[in-house]
Amino acid sequence: MSKEAPLSIAEREFILEALRQDSRLDGRTPDQFRPLKISFGDEYGHVNLELGNTSIIVRISAEVTKPRDERPFDGLFNINLELSAMGSPAWENGRPNDVESYVTHVLDSVIRHSNALDTESLCILKGVSCWSIRADVHVVAYDGNLTDAACIAVMTGLQHFRRPDAVVRDGQVVVYGVEERVPVALNITHKPLSVTFFAFNESKNIIVDATLKEEQASEGELVIGINNGGEMCFMNKFSGATINAREIVTRTSVALEKVKDLNAQIDRAMQADLALRAKRGMAEESRAENDR
Amino acid sequence: MASPLVLLPGDEVPSRHLPSNKSNPLKLGPGLRLLSQPSSTSQNAQSQHVLTATQAGIVTTDAKRNTVSLLSFPNRRYIPTVNDLIIAQIHHSSVDYFHCMVTPHTAHALLGQLSFEGASKKTRPMLRQGDLVYARVLSIGLGAGAEVELTCVNPATGKSEPGGLGPLNGGMVFDVSTGMAARLLRASSSSSEQNESIDGLVVLSELGKKLESLGGFEIAVGRNGKVWIDCSNAGESAVKATIAIGRCLQTVDEKGLGPADQKKFVTRILREMKLVS
Repeated sequence: MSKEAPLSIAEREFILEALRQDSRLDGRTPDQFRPLKISFGDEYGHVNLELGNTSIIVRISAEVTKPRDERPFDGLFNINLELSAMGSPAWENGRPNDVESYVTHVLDSVIRHSNALDTESLCILKGVSCWSIRADVHVVAYDGNLTDAACIAVMTGLQHFRRPDAVVRDGQVVVYGVEERVPVALNITHKPLSVTFFAFNESKNIIVDATLKEEQASEGELVIGINNGGEMCFMNKFSGATINAREIVTRTSVALEKVKDLNAQIDRAMQADLALRAKRGMAEESRAENDR
Repeated sequence: MASPLVLLPGDEVPSRHLPSNKSNPLKLGPGLRLLSQPSSTSQNAQSQHVLTATQAGIVTTDAKRNTVSLLSFPNRRYIPTVNDLIIAQIHHSSVDYFHCMVTPHTAHALLGQLSFEGASKKTRPMLRQGDLVYARVLSIGLGAGAEVELTCVNPATGKSEPGGLGPLNGGMVFDVSTGMAARLLRASSSSSEQNESIDGLVVLSELGKKLESLGGFEIAVGRNGKVWIDCSNAGESAVKATIAIGRCLQTVDEKGLGPADQKKFVTRILREMKLVS
């Protein structure tokens, strides 16, 4: 039960034949993402993301802990991905599978190891206390391209999250509540996202943002992690058919274009949400009655 | 028929809604059960039979074929019911049976190696893993863990009745909700006025009209939420036509388009795919 149901022969052959004729099942072009929908919950850092039928919820949380001994100036940042049976009947609760370790690896490489979140800014008092930021990724529905969707969701969450303000007074760490002081945004150094390419028909057809069926019919995949400035922070071809080196170079520029577009979409969603919050905050303050 | 009657699980089907045709036995569709209820008065020893709904849905009846069934909501889960037509995928084969997947991640259904039209030990179809068959649910067994059995042949006549049962070659399968699959099946079987008033499903006839010039298409609808489409007559535009039909069905299903919107959407998609000018 731990495997996705295999594709039928007819489906596989049809998908390959359609791609040979440059058509996809949902009428997209090879370099087109599915419609991306980002919405935010009540709290900072709570992101609901829908990429086509793939649906993900990300929660960012912060707590004060002791930094690791070997890096007293650094805070902690962890991405936690758990695939539960809610996302797909092929996944079992509490039993890690290949997809899980694979997606975690890509998320770690693209976001954590590329230092997208400046962990030094999370330090409160050297060697004594620091912030530990944790991103929990929940997959609610799975229809392919989990990596890219999770990457977008985590990056959106990090940009949206506000941690409580903390200061050091007389060697004592004081954490202010959200009501006392305006919470602080995290220090994001750059905005990398991953773009996964799937190869078909001896790598003659390469597409982005595959659905589950397309993913199952694919021969190989190529993951590129890149930021708005065109700096590549991750590239991997885990398995599958060979992809021409020249093809990889051209795909990199496609990835850059996609990442710019996705980041613009994230920004738009963020601005809209922050504007809404500002308006609601004002309304809250200007109310005559106060709740006792 | 006036306003449709909506039933919730556990509700009884009022007897005035049942078809009055007495010559044939009444046939029950999925979602309905015949329960015998001991009568409250002790003198009357004879128990009474009532029809109760096991799912929520709209009661629909067909007087001609003397059936009563529930038109349920477009849910995704499929529970096999006897006589349902389904599209199954061969998982593996054993000496006597093909083991088929009806829905992913449920127990396999059995399809006899010889339950095909005209099949004998020598002429039986050699199906490989991943092949598709259009089959009828023969029995669902009793109790938990019971095996579902499928067949592609009517055991009484030895023919593949209703027509078209058997292996599906080529084409493409699209997933729709089970409710949509039921609507599509009803749209093809019952009289047109009756089903437009209840279902409002015109997408198939519209597609049929528009794609006639290309050579038409073949379609098989499985109650398990799968639709198989083959346009191999359409020559070069076969792939595009298949995709167009699949997209139309899926969008009508997801967005619950009304008849007018369905027609508009079909025209739009066909123009987008450059199939009709």
